Amino acid sequence: MSPSLTMPAPAPAAARKRRLLEILGAVAIAATYIYLVLNQPADITGGPGSASALIALSGFLAGAILLIVAVLPALPASSVVLIPVALVLNIVLGQFVGSTLVPFYLDAIGTVLIAVLAGPAAGAATGALSSIVWSFFNPTVLPFAAGAALIGCLAGLAARHGMFRRFYLAPVAGFVTGIIGGVVSAPVAAFVFGGTSGVATGAIVSAFRSMGDTLLAAITKQALISDPMDKAIVFTVVAVLAYALPRRARLQFPFVRRHRVLAGTTPGQDS
Amino acid sequence: MRLHPLTSLAAAGSTAVITTAAASLPLSLAVMGAAVALSARSGTARRLLPAAAAVLLPLGLSLLVMHGLFFPEGRTVLAQWGMARVTAEGLAFALERAAQLGAVVLALLVFSFSVSVPDLVAVLSSRGLHGRFAFVLASTLTLLPAITSRVERIRQAQESRGLVVRRGLLHRAAAFRLQAVPLVLSLIEDAGTRTAALEARGFSNPGPRTSYRAVPDPRGQRVLRAALLAAAAAAVAARLLLTQAGS
Repeated sequence: MSPSLTMPAPAPAAARKRRLLEILGAVAIAATYIYLVLNQPADITGGPGSASALIALSGFLAGAILLIVAVLPALPASSVVLIPVALVLNIVLGQFVGSTLVPFYLDAIGTVLIAVLAGPAAGAATGALSSIVWSFFNPTVLPFAAGAALIGCLAGLAARHGMFRRFYLAPVAGFVTGIIGGVVSAPVAAFVFGGTSGVATGAIVSAFRSMGDTLLAAITKQALISDPMDKAIVFTVVAVLAYALPRRARLQFPFVRRHRVLAGTTPGQDS
Repeated sequence: MRLHPLTSLAAAGSTAVITTAAASLPLSLAVMGAAVALSARSGTARRLLPAAAAVLLPLGLSLLVMHGLFFPEGRTVLAQWGMARVTAEGLAFALERAAQLGAVVLALLVFSFSVSVPDLVAVLSSRGLHGRFAFVLASTLTLLPAITSRVERIRQAQESRGLVVRRGLLHRAAAFRLQAVPLVLSLIEDAGTRTAALEARGFSNPGPRTSYRAVPDPRGQRVLRAALLAAAAAAVAARLLLTQAGS
């Protein structure tokens, strides 16, 4: 879609304000994480763990909402229209894979697909919005909005730097993304939920707890075991899907054309 | 009297925040009871309870196993099998967390099952910046049932071409690819068509929007909303001050 010729162009002041909001959102998420990890609140398993739960919830949610407010108005319409598609894919394919390939839950396929096709900003907005809209049916995913935004952003950055041009690089990028995403999401699981929501992941946490780890350490170790594998599979699935799209569908996205995200789509060929 | 969507959202949100801040078992149980009673009165209990159970049962079970059996900080040992020790502290922690999460989940689900989505979308899109968020929300909620039936049609079409899901990881992955590729392709095609249609109607143009749907927002409810938000903020502040004083 070309920019409108009859409407006034957005002022640079608005762009600066949005950049500021983006930075504020990222700082809120990072500061919350650093506070929680450094302070290792002792009240997590003794006493009521609610002060740290409140800090984790409000810090991560505020960061995610700031990112949405900053990114969403600036996205081109073609990306905004894709976001609901991504949310539905997250939910439907997540359930579908859950019923066929047992050990993983793969609930980020849509987010990563949008990040690859439309860039890191769209990926981050999709991740955060996905958690918020999904919480209409399952409120427990709401606190993970910041982690989902981070995964969308990292997937977009990986795509921009050519990690999807070679087929064997996609799972590597997914593995690294999973490590970062898992470590950032672990405090949410520990402080807000006091554990994990799945029985299988709960068993892994119990194993580390039985060796005497603190709850945060046990959940971080569990996240380091399951998240990188999960994201490596998600990135591979997305690479398969993206290469299965016909050229015309792929090249309708400016991000794919400009950064030559996928092999065989050189910038000179789009006309 | 019909509640304004933002009023019920504020009520659910502040209930969730206050329950988390209070962290008291009786309050959590009372909120759970009130939420179930509220949904039974409005006639949504039949849809709400299965949805809540699908979320809360695995979570509660996982918490019970994790903290009931392994809680290194526990002192009062009730039973012991090898590595596993059932401690009173662990059981109390699991119960308290499960009740707290149950109250939050039920309060938010009562909101999402009772709110009228068209009203919510009309309210959000009349407030400038939120137009795009309203589009994403409404579009997802309407796409979801349509796509569930499309997945079913694609599966039937592939089965009529001879797709049989056999055992084994590779077969299943191949079957997944045969169904996911047509789904994603058709969704992206649709999105492209929709972009052109929305763009032709000035979707990304700035300026005010007119909504055909008027949602009344009486003064009393606006005051109530402000009071609810203030109460939630006060609860958070009180909890943080108490924690500071305690440590």
